[in-house]
Amino acid sequence: MQGNGFKIGLIVAFLAMTLWYLFPTIQWNLEQKQISELPSADSLQYVEDNREKLASIKERTLNLGLDLQGGMYVMLEVGTSQLILELAGQNRDEQLEQVVSTARETALANNSDFIDEMVTVFEAGNEGARLSRYFRNDAADITRRSSNQEIAVFLKAQRTEALDRAIEIIRTRVDRFGVTEPSIVKQGTDRIVVELPGVDDPERVRNLLKGTARLEFRLAANANDFSSFITQVYNYFDEKAASDESDSLDVIQPNALLEVLSPGQSPYALGYAEEQDTAKVSALISDSEVQKLLPRNTTMMWSANTSPLVAGGAEVFTLFGVRTDVEMTGEVIEEASVQFDPTTNVPEVSMTMNAEGARDWARITGANIGKPVAIVLDGYIYTYPNVITKINNGRSSITGVENVGEAEDLVNILLSGALPAPLEIVEERTVGASLGQASIEASLNSVLIGLSIVAIFMIVYYRTGGGVADIALLLNIVFILGILAGFQATLTLPGMAGIVLTIGMAVDANVLIFDRIREEQRTGKTIKAAISAGYSNAMSAIIDANITTGFVALVLLSFGVGPIKGFAVTLLAGICCSLFSAIIITRVVIDYLTRAKSSVVNFG
Amino acid sequence: MRWFETPNFDFVSKRKIAYVFSGLLVAISIGTIVMKGLQYGIDFKGGTEFVLKFEQPVDVTEVRSALTVPLGSTPEVKLFGSSTEVLVRTDNEGDINDVEEIILSTMVTSYPDNKSFVEKSDKVGPKVAEDLKSGGLQSIIYSMAIIFVYILIRFRKWTFSAGAVVALFHDVIITLGAFTLLSDVVNFSLLIDQNIIAAFLTIVGYSLNDTVVVFDRIRENSIVHKGMEYIPMVNKSLNDTLSRTIITSITTLFVVAVLFIFGGEVLKGFSFALLIGIVLGTYSSLFVASSLVVELDAKTNK
Repeated sequence: MQGNGFKIGLIVAFLAMTLWYLFPTIQWNLEQKQISELPSADSLQYVEDNREKLASIKERTLNLGLDLQGGMYVMLEVGTSQLILELAGQNRDEQLEQVVSTARETALANNSDFIDEMVTVFEAGNEGARLSRYFRNDAADITRRSSNQEIAVFLKAQRTEALDRAIEIIRTRVDRFGVTEPSIVKQGTDRIVVELPGVDDPERVRNLLKGTARLEFRLAANANDFSSFITQVYNYFDEKAASDESDSLDVIQPNALLEVLSPGQSPYALGYAEEQDTAKVSALISDSEVQKLLPRNTTMMWSANTSPLVAGGAEVFTLFGVRTDVEMTGEVIEEASVQFDPTTNVPEVSMTMNAEGARDWARITGANIGKPVAIVLDGYIYTYPNVITKINNGRSSITGVENVGEAEDLVNILLSGALPAPLEIVEERTVGASLGQASIEASLNSVLIGLSIVAIFMIVYYRTGGGVADIALLLNIVFILGILAGFQATLTLPGMAGIVLTIGMAVDANVLIFDRIREEQRTGKTIKAAISAGYSNAMSAIIDANITTGFVALVLLSFGVGPIKGFAVTLLAGICCSLFSAIIITRVVIDYLTRAKSSVVNFG
Repeated sequence: MRWFETPNFDFVSKRKIAYVFSGLLVAISIGTIVMKGLQYGIDFKGGTEFVLKFEQPVDVTEVRSALTVPLGSTPEVKLFGSSTEVLVRTDNEGDINDVEEIILSTMVTSYPDNKSFVEKSDKVGPKVAEDLKSGGLQSIIYSMAIIFVYILIRFRKWTFSAGAVVALFHDVIITLGAFTLLSDVVNFSLLIDQNIIAAFLTIVGYSLNDTVVVFDRIRENSIVHKGMEYIPMVNKSLNDTLSRTIITSITTLFVVAVLFIFGGEVLKGFSFALLIGIVLGTYSSLFVASSLVVELDAKTNK
């Protein structure tokens, strides 16, 4: 019986520690219950009065994963290819574009770094040529004679810088959006992982995260040139339809473009299309013949939102002609806020420019009275106003936003700054709060039912031993939760599954021991001697079995992501705790029972 | 209560039957996998997936045909747990906002009186899918390698390592085969995703647990009963640990069955893998792992 004092001390200390870590979680649930029982006015008052206290409890509670509490997990990737084309600036040519698009494919196929692939692809196609002709940069000491390897290093540094800036900007946007406990983490060389608990408007969040916030002020296309272009384009598709019909059996629609785009009256717009058709229109007009018809210094862009001026009641987007040259960019914006149009009460974003911007704006508006100017955000035209007078005070506004939320997000994006390169959502997992709640209930039920079945089985099969094992099992679950809370780990749905599984496997050590004790008893040993021999003989099997399972959990921990990590953590915690409770706790209890009244101890 | 008090089954001499049985299962599994291909979920294949919750039950076929034209390809549509929840999986690679918009607006037109909302959405890009797939594969390979080395160090015989690892492959391949074979038959998702990889590794851990306990007893018996012949000793070790093997399998099967029934739709595939894996793991540690050790030892001692 020697050494039990130490064991008891250890158990008490461990139990005290886990309860200490679990206390805030219990307290939080009690507070929530109390708040929900108060009348709504009182509960608001209560939350207000105890804001700091509640926040401090919340911070120390057991974290629930997004799959249990609902929310969004978004992985964003910096558009390295766009960044590189951008860096090439004026030197960008068709060859570089070709190299970039090939490198994108090979990087995906080989699961390798895009920049390295780009160098390889470039070198393969151009023996002895240097990439330096695209990326000369005096500040970074990149000259015409820089080697391709130096260029690769330079480009990677640029990517890292872009990633770091993007993280800062995303953080500002998320903070302004007002999510509680967001997490924004860099992953690898070009990715950002954003976790937003409790978000219930995924569409808005996606736009907020991705928006590069590239604000541009462009002039409208030349009215005469563009209206003749409009005629030519529709004629072109008329002819194409006719010739296609004559030379093949294919059933071709009369005019492919007219099927999806309705012509309008404006000399600045090619036409109007319903939402589901805009992609088809874009594909049709990207035809190289159509692009050849385009007047010089002219390009086409879609309106960001549906325009109201269309017959038939359908909501349509407009395809406008604008100049390729950008007159001004969003860098001149100093202030932005949501305003409401005094007559229609429609929300809009009002912007104030700095002195330089105001000067340019005055020049541009002064020179284009009576013509439209396009305010373009991330490639979509938001506002297309006719200039009425010269604007001297550097003010302008973005109209045509759908609702106040969108206007607020635009202000947020404009003020947080423009992203250095576009971000793409490469992975997203969104769980609604209701499904999260259902998952919590389902997994809690599984824990309770699983626990009861195993507990009853153990008592039936091992009598006293089983009862003692059940006590250990209960404490085991408390320990696992305490460890998770103490290490600030996150409890996910697979984590809950891990706990359920641990219940089944935790009794394994006790099964090994009790079976061994029965065996020892069969050899004629007294109960005390059998217990002692049972514990010590079962030990090596227990240790081996748990170490191997522990290895598997460690592998899962290092390769898994997100929820799987949660599973590995609970599995690992479960192994440690079940070893402790099955070996030490049951031993102490059984020793105590045999000393007090050995006749009650029975292993079935 | 005592089951298998002093059992005396001759496991090792029945090994030929076990080999035929296991060989058959493995052959069927590999055949199915080769013919049908592994059925990857979006984690490994990429794509977009939505769970829509309706107010009233809907018909899956109707939802599928309503969505086919707007999405540009036939989506996979399945019930998700209840008759009011539907899982829509599409390979449409458009912006997730657009895809969601298309699905929701189509549902509004098709079911004007049965409101729906998106309860869960997942999007995995092709590059991330590649990353996740290689991560999953690596984790299985690494854990097998670590286990091989650990058993080699602990039991000092490569035949033990080989027996254990072959038994593990046996379990995982047959479970994979069952997943591939049954993926169209059952009414819950049996696609292979990250959760399933976690389940496989758990099966590996569990099956190993059983095997190691037996090996440990073989090692102990070979010291205690020095004069005993090898095959009877392996048999004795299997019988000595039989009660424990069965009892632990029972308690674990209990909880996994509970998880399968009550754990919710998200964990269905995961707990199904565990159900199959635990039965296989118990079988393989009784009939495959130790028998292989006997076989390999006999070969190397010649």
